[in-house]
Amino acid sequence: MGRSDSTSMEMSDRQPSSRTVRLGRLQPQAPGHRTIFCNDPEANLPVKFKGNSISTTKFNILTFLPKGLFEQFRRVANLYFLMISILSTTPISPVHPITNVVPLSLVLFVSLVKEAFEDWKRLQNDRSVNSSPIEVLQNQKWESIPWRRLQVGDIVKVKQDGFFPADLLFLASTNPDGVCYTETANLDGETNLKIRKALERTWDYLTPDKAFEFKGEIQCEQPNNSLYTFTGNLIIQKHTLPLSPNQILLRGCSLRNTAYIVGAVVFTGHETKVMMNAMSVPSKRSTMEKKLDKLILTLFSILFLMCLIGAIGSGVFIDRKYYYLGLHEGVENQFNPNNKFVVTILTMFTLLTLYSTIIPISLYVSIEMIKFIQCAQYINKDIHMYHIESNTPALARTSNLNEELGQVEYIFSDKTGTLTRNLMEFFKCSIGGEVYGTGITEIERGGAQRNGIKVEEVPRTVTAVHEKGFNFDDTRLMCGAWRNEHNPDTCKEFFRCLAICHTVLPEGDESPEKITYQAASPDEAALVAAAKNFGFFFYRRTPTTIMVRESHVEKMGSVQDISYEILNVLEFNSTRKRQSVICRYPNGRLVLYCKGADSVIFERLMDGNNDLNNSSREHLEYFGSSGLRTLCLAYKDLSNEMYESWNDKFIQAKSSLRDREKKLDEVSELIENDLILIGCTAIEDKLQEGVPSCIETLSRAGIKIWVLTGDKMETAINIAYACSLINNGMKQFIINSDTDSIREVESRGDPVETARFIRDIVKQKLKKCLEESQRSLHTLSGQKLALVIDGKCLMYALDPALRGNLLNLSLRCSSVVCCRVSPLQKAQVTSMVRKGAQKITLSIGDGANDVSMIQAAHVGIGISGMEGMQAVMASDFAIAQFRFLTDLLLVHGRWSYLRICKVVTYFFYKNLTFTLTQFWFTFHTGFSGQRFYDDWFQSLYNVIFTALPVIVVGLFDKDVSASLSKKYPELYKEGIRNTYFRWRVVAVWAFFALYQSLVLYNFVTASSKIANNLSGKMFGLWDVSTMAFTCVVVTVNIRLLMACNSITRWHHISILGSILAWFVFIYIYSGIMTPYDRQENEYHVIHIIMSTFYFYLTLLLVPVVALLGDFIYQGLQRWFFPYDYQIIQELHRNDPEVSSRAKLQEIGNQRTADEERSYAISQLPRETSKHTGFAFDSPGYESFFASQQGVYAPQKAWDVARRASMRQPKTHKRK
Amino acid sequence: MNTEMASSSGGTGSTDPSAPRRHSKRPKYSRFTQQELPACKPILTPQWVISAFTLISFIFIPIGVASLLASRNVVEIVYRYETDCIPINLRGDKVGYIQSTLDKNCIKMITVPKRMKHPIYVYYQLDNFYQNHRRYVKSRSDTQLRDKKKENDTSSCEPEESNGGSPIVPCGLVAWSLFNDTYSFSIKNEPLAVNKNDISWKSDRDSKFGKDVFPKNFQNGTLKGGATLNESIPLSKQEDLIVWMRTAALPTFRKLYGRIEVDLQANEVINVTLENNYNTYSFNGKKKLVLSTTSWLGGKNDFLGIAYLTVGGLCFFLALSFTVVYLVKPRKLGDPSYLSWNRNPAGH
Repeated sequence: MGRSDSTSMEMSDRQPSSRTVRLGRLQPQAPGHRTIFCNDPEANLPVKFKGNSISTTKFNILTFLPKGLFEQFRRVANLYFLMISILSTTPISPVHPITNVVPLSLVLFVSLVKEAFEDWKRLQNDRSVNSSPIEVLQNQKWESIPWRRLQVGDIVKVKQDGFFPADLLFLASTNPDGVCYTETANLDGETNLKIRKALERTWDYLTPDKAFEFKGEIQCEQPNNSLYTFTGNLIIQKHTLPLSPNQILLRGCSLRNTAYIVGAVVFTGHETKVMMNAMSVPSKRSTMEKKLDKLILTLFSILFLMCLIGAIGSGVFIDRKYYYLGLHEGVENQFNPNNKFVVTILTMFTLLTLYSTIIPISLYVSIEMIKFIQCAQYINKDIHMYHIESNTPALARTSNLNEELGQVEYIFSDKTGTLTRNLMEFFKCSIGGEVYGTGITEIERGGAQRNGIKVEEVPRTVTAVHEKGFNFDDTRLMCGAWRNEHNPDTCKEFFRCLAICHTVLPEGDESPEKITYQAASPDEAALVAAAKNFGFFFYRRTPTTIMVRESHVEKMGSVQDISYEILNVLEFNSTRKRQSVICRYPNGRLVLYCKGADSVIFERLMDGNNDLNNSSREHLEYFGSSGLRTLCLAYKDLSNEMYESWNDKFIQAKSSLRDREKKLDEVSELIENDLILIGCTAIEDKLQEGVPSCIETLSRAGIKIWVLTGDKMETAINIAYACSLINNGMKQFIINSDTDSIREVESRGDPVETARFIRDIVKQKLKKCLEESQRSLHTLSGQKLALVIDGKCLMYALDPALRGNLLNLSLRCSSVVCCRVSPLQKAQVTSMVRKGAQKITLSIGDGANDVSMIQAAHVGIGISGMEGMQAVMASDFAIAQFRFLTDLLLVHGRWSYLRICKVVTYFFYKNLTFTLTQFWFTFHTGFSGQRFYDDWFQSLYNVIFTALPVIVVGLFDKDVSASLSKKYPELYKEGIRNTYFRWRVVAVWAFFALYQSLVLYNFVTASSKIANNLSGKMFGLWDVSTMAFTCVVVTVNIRLLMACNSITRWHHISILGSILAWFVFIYIYSGIMTPYDRQENEYHVIHIIMSTFYFYLTLLLVPVVALLGDFIYQGLQRWFFPYDYQIIQELHRNDPEVSSRAKLQEIGNQRTADEERSYAISQLPRETSKHTGFAFDSPGYESFFASQQGVYAPQKAWDVARRASMRQPKTHKRK
Repeated sequence: MNTEMASSSGGTGSTDPSAPRRHSKRPKYSRFTQQELPACKPILTPQWVISAFTLISFIFIPIGVASLLASRNVVEIVYRYETDCIPINLRGDKVGYIQSTLDKNCIKMITVPKRMKHPIYVYYQLDNFYQNHRRYVKSRSDTQLRDKKKENDTSSCEPEESNGGSPIVPCGLVAWSLFNDTYSFSIKNEPLAVNKNDISWKSDRDSKFGKDVFPKNFQNGTLKGGATLNESIPLSKQEDLIVWMRTAALPTFRKLYGRIEVDLQANEVINVTLENNYNTYSFNGKKKLVLSTTSWLGGKNDFLGIAYLTVGGLCFFLALSFTVVYLVKPRKLGDPSYLSWNRNPAGH
């Protein structure tokens, strides 16, 4: 369903490739290069590059049937039925082949039609893509050809809003500076624009006649699936120019804001990066399905046992004394009394075909159908999970995990963007050892309230500014007042650092009111906005300069525009955790500004100045405990000579072909040292709406929530407090690497020693905590436990030797917070619980750094609507807000679990009951394997007479209403404990199936021994079996009704309909002579049996007796051992049925002040970046996958510079 | 603070929040998608359980009584004769006797225990005879029985499909093993007529057995299975065959032989002349002659009546005991203290 769903998504976009975007494993690069001669088809000919036409279909006309059938028969159940069908064409079989062929072909037909339809859609898509026109340079002219005829080395022209037909080398653009803007929504769902910049050397090849002269040679890597890397060189006239991802335009992206560009084709068709990514993610199977397999296996063993008993019986029975069976010499092997062993073996097969109905063939199809409707109609259309601000409904991307949602025990949540809003506001700062900013965060307030301290609110002054990204008030800094502080020079450096050291793009009018900043992360935008408000207004960026309008610098009120020359940008990535800019002042001063995580900055500070460093450290801790995100700012003055020598190394590294990223990092390291600390910033990250109450509800439901975040420990703990994950009543275990002893060892600089030391510390701590937790468990005081651990310690704790301890400890804790963890560790923690504790896990996150964890958990949930799509693309379900988890789990998940359990157990029961009646009959036929029922009865039993009601139950059954499910979250525990699908439950069903089959068979046959009507006539075999079958159909259908908690009119319709369908069928069937069945056993049978009173009396008696057992059981169970849901039902039995309609229609009209605010914010032009959290949460997934493979792949965002999509009318519509 | 925000957001010229959004993806409300279909939610309260039991017992006991009475009104004489009809000196080798050409007639007296109103049905009952054996059941050709032109359609009749190259009509084991004991009755030397018409289901006579299909080549083989058929009578009139060919469901079965259409008085002695031809001795099968009247329900079968009475009685007993339990140990409906998390709040 995930597949088809994304197909439909892409259909609406009329773009082919988004379906194929998957974050797969990084394929190890094939050795060697590819050499492309641009604009020279003859030279490229010998290499035989692949064409540009693509095919994403699974089948073609010829292969559809064989391949489609092959896929179907990879399912064991289908294969089994195929074998049975083949077996039933042999004389061994007691049943006509139709008995098994009809249900099998119905099931196959449904599946194949679905496959064919999906593939046909794909074909249509491919065709329209392959034939879309593209302009190619031919004979000094642009000529339009379809995409599919494009060749490697061709020079193409792509116009504005057009899609790139292949992976192109960007040569020239109509924009000045050789830049163009691309939208990558089809690759990663990001709607913001990315800048690509052509090599200066190629800027001129824009017109056809110029481009014709272009004869370059591209040496580049072989096609691979890494979207964010590209290494290669362009050789023009013996000059070798290094190429980077910056010059590559990927297929699937589109051109924006640029009249047209000219590019050379590098990779075509299936070799393009986006197509190389087109691998299907291994689909997740639900735990329930795996248990189902066990149940099916059990059924197989029951089947085998039954066949064995029957076969042995037949061997014993067969004897020539039954002369009327004609067992003379020369009788076929199956009945040859001289060879009883062969008789036994052959009868085994006979019985196998006869009892094949014990395996419910339509089970999988029914479940698939039910789950599909549950997803498409319930989850996707639930108004309660619709988020009005972002206009996002919930989205189920896979349909096979619905019931898993009802059994989740552990939730792993990302913090930023998931628990918090990722609405970053500059809130406080510390400059030169002084704290500025008078605001009080909600977390501080909450903490104070918990401790019973009254917080003194500082009244807001006139200077207070609250705008997007900036919520700061301190008269000491605003309006140039900083000049009067005791350290104005530090303040100046601070503000300049904010204004210069970033990769933000300004947009809109160059006035402080109207400008908007487009940044890679909201933190960055907030920092630049802060600089603006402090009087350092960054308003223009060119490739080499940054223009800042500075106020109050020389004297109060004076304004001057200063242009800083940007020499180098040392980009941010998650290993570096810092970003530096080297700039030259107009007066020639050469400065490196650096901002980054405190850990990396403090390591690189110049010695001395310990007072400032220590007080800043204190401030950082204070900010952290207020739930603020912090960054440290530092600078370093450079001398010209030093810079020049360094810059040579930098350029060298930049143009290296191999390990460029690594080399760049190493070179950066050379200059980013001996920094001078300026101060630090504190940014507030607001909690999402309804998070604390949602978390409280979920924990009442028995779900344990772990927070895995890249943030600092203090921030994480405080967010955990704010979300009521941790409270003061809990015993907290903190395993932290940021201790003095560890720092001391680290400062010695021996990595081996450090590792050993930390490992020992972690080991001891784990042991101690484990003991303490044991003690506190035994004290019965019921004190809840919480564990906080940071990434570094986690690294050691996840070591196989310690993992067991960590798992034991963390399972005892009701909440766990892991901070400063990498994406890889998030995944490791998730799979530790998943595999180690065998619990059902759910991961929820919004950013690319959560992808690994989302894929590692049983159920992955992406937060949609706010940021990019990376997490959503990897997820199984996407919701707009964390709080919708309540609905998704407690309502949809729980119901789905209940329903699927009911459907599965019922399927098991009805097939067992039916087959057992057949089994009992075998004992009375001399074990000959004679069928009790007509072939058609047997074949239609599963697909017609009992098919629909169970689907209705799978869709409509609910024990308690949605609001009660949320009011009593404890009900969810039944799912966690798997109350409804344990062996005991199955055994009860099996017991009653046994009982009912005995009643059904014996009661019906017992009444057939004597004359059955007034005229003394007798029933034959087929009369008895038709009567028995009628009773079976009635009984199993009513049994389903008894299992229902709520009965809608669809229940009535389907159950009555099924019974009626049987009668209609038998009336028609017994009225006609079937031409293919040479024995007209059923002819007139129904008229005969319905002409007797026996029929009606039996029809009343047998179902009642058969169901009496279940009824007594249900009555007793409810009376003495009621399930929780039953109590709730009773509690609220008199509640009026409230429709949520009236309530729902009010949504959107009445907003709280807070909602109003977030709505207003959502209406603002927003930065649409998915890389949440500047400092620590970054797209590390690429390297995560790479490191899993043992390949080194540095992280690299698309581009540092991002741009809003506001001005483009096309993207505007998307909003 | 909030007013400030509102004004600043207004200042950016964003759309009016109260105005309907153009591309709203808000799902439409429908009872189906919101899972709020009207439904009745039956709760199996003790009252319901008790009343259900009471209701069943109130319905079942009268039906049980009526069926039992009907069954008890039926007078049935069952006479087992497979051993009695063999001369005592030959009982050592029953199979030899039945396969010999000796005279198989056997005259027995039966006393009527109770007055039997006509029609009195005459049945034969066989035991340990697997008419439902797979090999046996399928060894017939319904098309051949129905249609004169299809007399060669004997492929399913193995091993009795043809004899000497020409097809057997009716073919197959079922027909071949046709029961061939005959009974004739007399009271005080007055013969008692046995009506052998209309002993088969009408639909069989009319549709399954052809009016123009005559027996052919039947029982001509070396091994004789059972009765022979008069080749001048069409199959649709051969009611013994029709009855026989409606194969029985269980290895013990009765088949209708004929009707006696006079009343029999109590203590009357009937002379039965049995022609004991059929071989059930090979497989130790019993043979019984049954004379029975019928009620509205059919023959003498206490099963239904007893079953109904038992279930009705059981339900009555259950209703009573549930009531007692309900009075002794009531459970308040919807008592929150029963909730699992209230019973052990620690949740372990």
